Amino acid sequence: MQPIQDKDFDQLFKDRFEDAEITPSRDLWSSIESEIEPKKKRIIPVYWLSAAAVLIIATVGISIYQQQKSGPKQYANNVLPKGQNPVIVEPQTKDTLVSGIAPIKDVVKTLPVDAKPITTLAKTKVKDNVKPIENQKVISAPDIQKQETMIAKAEAPKKDIKTKIEEAVFQTKEESVLAANNGNEPLADEVIDNSYPIERKGIRNVGDVVNLIVNTMDKRKDKLIQFRTDDDDSSISVVNIGPFRIGKKNRK
Amino acid sequence: MEGCKAGDRKMQELLYRQTSSKMLAVCMRYAKDRMEAEDVLQMGYIKIFQKIQEYRGDGSFEGWIRRVMVNTAIESYRKSLRNLKVVEIDEAYEQPSTGFDFGTLGMQDLMKVIQKLADGYRMVFNMYVIEGYSHKEIAETLGISEGASKSQLSRARAILKEEITKMEGFGYATYTG
Repeated sequence: MQPIQDKDFDQLFKDRFEDAEITPSRDLWSSIESEIEPKKKRIIPVYWLSAAAVLIIATVGISIYQQQKSGPKQYANNVLPKGQNPVIVEPQTKDTLVSGIAPIKDVVKTLPVDAKPITTLAKTKVKDNVKPIENQKVISAPDIQKQETMIAKAEAPKKDIKTKIEEAVFQTKEESVLAANNGNEPLADEVIDNSYPIERKGIRNVGDVVNLIVNTMDKRKDKLIQFRTDDDDSSISVVNIGPFRIGKKNRK
Repeated sequence: MEGCKAGDRKMQELLYRQTSSKMLAVCMRYAKDRMEAEDVLQMGYIKIFQKIQEYRGDGSFEGWIRRVMVNTAIESYRKSLRNLKVVEIDEAYEQPSTGFDFGTLGMQDLMKVIQKLADGYRMVFNMYVIEGYSHKEIAETLGISEGASKSQLSRARAILKEEITKMEGFGYATYTG
C-alpha cells in the first residue's frame, strides 16, 4: 500500500459524496410544509384579532354603561353625597325601622337584651355609610360641614330608634328608651372619632392624589382604582375594571 | 420549477421528493449527526421556496439548490459558533500516512469520520474538498484567516486519515477474528 497523496485522498471523498443520497425521515416534508403554510394563513388572524378587539370594546362599554346606570341606586344606599342631603338619612330610617321592630317584643321582657342588637345594628350601618365620606373628604366640603353631617347622621338613628320604640311600645317604661339611648350614645361618638383622624390626613403621597382624582371621576362604590394610603407607602388596594376586579372587597 | 415559483404546493413537494435525499447527503457532511442534518435540510428547503424567485436560470437548478443548502449549513454553523464560543481543537497527529484500500470504504464510512471531526475542521474540509471553495473564500465566509483555513484543512485530513486507518484495522480485525 502506497502512502496516499492529499489529492487522491480528497478525490476519494469527492467521488464518494458526488451522488450520495440519504433518504430523509418521512415526516420531514410535513414539517417543512407547516413552516411554509403560515404565510398564507396569516391573513385570517387579522380578522380574528379585529373581531376580538370589537368584542372586548363592546363588553367593556356595556359593563361601564350598566354600572353608570345602576350608579344612582348605589348612591342612595351606600354613598353619601358631599352636601347635607336629606336623602342620606332616609334609607337609614327605613333600614333601622325594619330591623328595629324585630327586637321590640323582647324589649318588653328584657331591656338589656334589646339594647344590644340595636347597638350592633347601628354600628354597622353608620360605619358603612361613613366609608364613602372618607373617600370624598379631600374633595371640597369644609370640615365643619362634614362634621355636621356626621352628627346628623349619628343622631338620626338614635332618634329613629327612640321614636320607634316609643311608638311601638308606648307602655314601656322610660328606662327602656333610656337604655336604648345609652346603647347608642357612645356609638355616635365613636363614629365621629373614627372618621376624624382620617379626614385630616389630606394628601400625603401619590396614592392619595390618585384616589382624589379617581374619586372625582368615578362615582361608583367600587372605584376604578383605589390606593391604600393608611401607611406611608401607598399601595394599590382595589382595581376595578368592569367585570374584572382585583383587590379586597371592601375595607372594613 | 415554474410551479414552485408560483408557490404551488404540489410542485414544491415534487421538487422536495426529487432532491431531498441528495441534499440530505450534503447536509450530513456538514452536520454532527442526522438530526442536525435534517434541521438544516428543513431550513434549506424553506429558504429555497422563499428565494426561488431569485433563481435566474444560470447554472443547473440542482446546483442552485445545493448552493442554498450549503450556505444554510454554513450559516447554521456560524450561529452555533455564536452560541457555544468554545471550539475544541482536536490534537493533530502527524500521520504515518499508510495507504488505504479504497474499495472497502463506502460513503457511509466516510460520512461517519467526517461527522466525527470538530466543527471547524469539518467545515473547512467540506468546503474545500467537496464544494471546491478556495481558501480565500473559506476564510471570508467563516471569518478566519486564510492560513487558518489551510492549517485546519491539513489537520482535518490528518485526523480523517487516522480515523480511516483505525476503522480499516477494526474491519480487518473483525474479518480475521
